Amino acid sequence: MILSPEVLTIFILNILFLLFASIAFVLSLKIFFKWNSNATTTLQYNLEKQSILSATIIKYIFIIKLPLFLFFIFTLDKISLSITGAMCAAGVVDATPYGTYLFVIKIINIYVFGFWLAFHYLDIKQEESPYTQQKFGLFIIAFILLFAEIVLETLMFYSIDISKMVSCCGTLYSSTTASYISTIFLIKTPLLLSLFYGTFIFIYLFYIFKQKHLFAIFNLLFLIIALISLISFFGTYIYQLPTHHCPFCFLQKDYYYVGYLIYTVLFVGTFYGIIVGFKNEQDPRNYKISLIFNFFYIIIVSLYPIIFYINNGVWL
Amino acid sequence: MIQLQNVNKRYIINKNHTVDALQNINLDFKEGELIVLKGASGSGKSTILSLIAALSKPTSGEVIVDGKRISKLPDHFASIYRRENIGFIFQKYNLIPNLTVEENILLPLIPSNPSEKYASVRLDDLMKQFNIEHKKNIIVQNLSGGEQQRVAIARAHINNPKIIIADEPTANLDEKLSLHFCEILKELKQSNKTIIVATHDPLFFNLDFVDKIIDIKNGHIIS
Repeated sequence: MILSPEVLTIFILNILFLLFASIAFVLSLKIFFKWNSNATTTLQYNLEKQSILSATIIKYIFIIKLPLFLFFIFTLDKISLSITGAMCAAGVVDATPYGTYLFVIKIINIYVFGFWLAFHYLDIKQEESPYTQQKFGLFIIAFILLFAEIVLETLMFYSIDISKMVSCCGTLYSSTTASYISTIFLIKTPLLLSLFYGTFIFIYLFYIFKQKHLFAIFNLLFLIIALISLISFFGTYIYQLPTHHCPFCFLQKDYYYVGYLIYTVLFVGTFYGIIVGFKNEQDPRNYKISLIFNFFYIIIVSLYPIIFYINNGVWL
Repeated sequence: MIQLQNVNKRYIINKNHTVDALQNINLDFKEGELIVLKGASGSGKSTILSLIAALSKPTSGEVIVDGKRISKLPDHFASIYRRENIGFIFQKYNLIPNLTVEENILLPLIPSNPSEKYASVRLDDLMKQFNIEHKKNIIVQNLSGGEQQRVAIARAHINNPKIIIADEPTANLDEKLSLHFCEILKELKQSNKTIIVATHDPLFFNLDFVDKIIDIKNGHIIS
């Protein structure tokens, strides 16, 4: 087990999250199953009061949880110094059987929590609170995911054995590794870049033609392709090393913490893009935020190979 | 215009002590009516006012104003409803003692942020109507009870609300000032405001311009 101040902070916060989220979960079950917006009964008035309490608890948990993802990555990066063989967060993720699952569930949760917040703001904007029941239904799922995340996080930090040697990111994110990660490198670079830039062009076209569902689907596609191309192609230009594909190392000081900017921009852009597909009303702000952030992401990652080529006259 | 349908209101004091302030209340007030809610202290008059003003919610039943189910409104929308539709006159005036007459009257306008010109014209009109224009810059704690009451009425009127709610408005006034207050109510009624007065002052029970007198006892309507 590893117990650095950062891990301890995460543990304490998780206990608080679990405590308050459990209260909200119990109330959410009641609200989800018994809600009748037309009723004027004592039960319904009580549920209305309880919905305000629960929604406030959930809102603050999720608002805190979203930036905590970056703190989690920072923590992994920091404790990698204590683990033999680990050069960055990638080594820590690989140090236990829970790391990869935890990482995947954390990314899913960012989107689920974000969707809940967006849904909540949509609900409270209207006099009739039309989405209250659905909002608490979504929280029931979100609570299960949150619970799973906290359990996996606890297991991961508990299972880390600092005396055990782990693989470094150079080994983990390599085309020669016999894992699912190596399949990323099977995609040819011209095809990958065509998909990357092509997806964004389609997103823009779907914005012009106001095709909200296609806009959302292509944002989801863009997220996946952007992550693959970041590992497979753009990352090598950030490191200026053709064999280094780690998606974590550029979060470190050596690379001016640019990873935090890259991931924040990508997650914000695709989040607002995906949310467009779930909303009944057409809110032009969501389209614009998505387009601006996705475009900004493209500019950031594209600048690295361009600058490298200008400076060196060759591609990696 | 205002309907209370099967309204019950229970206050929970603690685990073993509850108070049924209203029991199965059904009322229907029309636009422009002046209604007097009559009853002893603790009969439930003020609870009815607070429900109509969306200051509290019923335990069960429904309050509908102009077709809007105000007892179902979330807090944020209830505030907007109050701001746009309700003018309050309280027993103890509830003025801010260290502000001037002008500042007190203008207070309810702050959230809606109207133009300075509109606010100024409206202020002058009201101060003239309630005969307090010469007190404009006086701190309200230096005014007499009657003057403070008139400032409170002007404040209740500044947003041009459809409904004016007065809770024991004459409890702190002498007979002469109470009669003057009734004259003001008559004027307000002529401008088609719906006025609801909760009182046990017998002065209101014989006024010819009162449309309805509702007698409340222990949370029930007697007549």
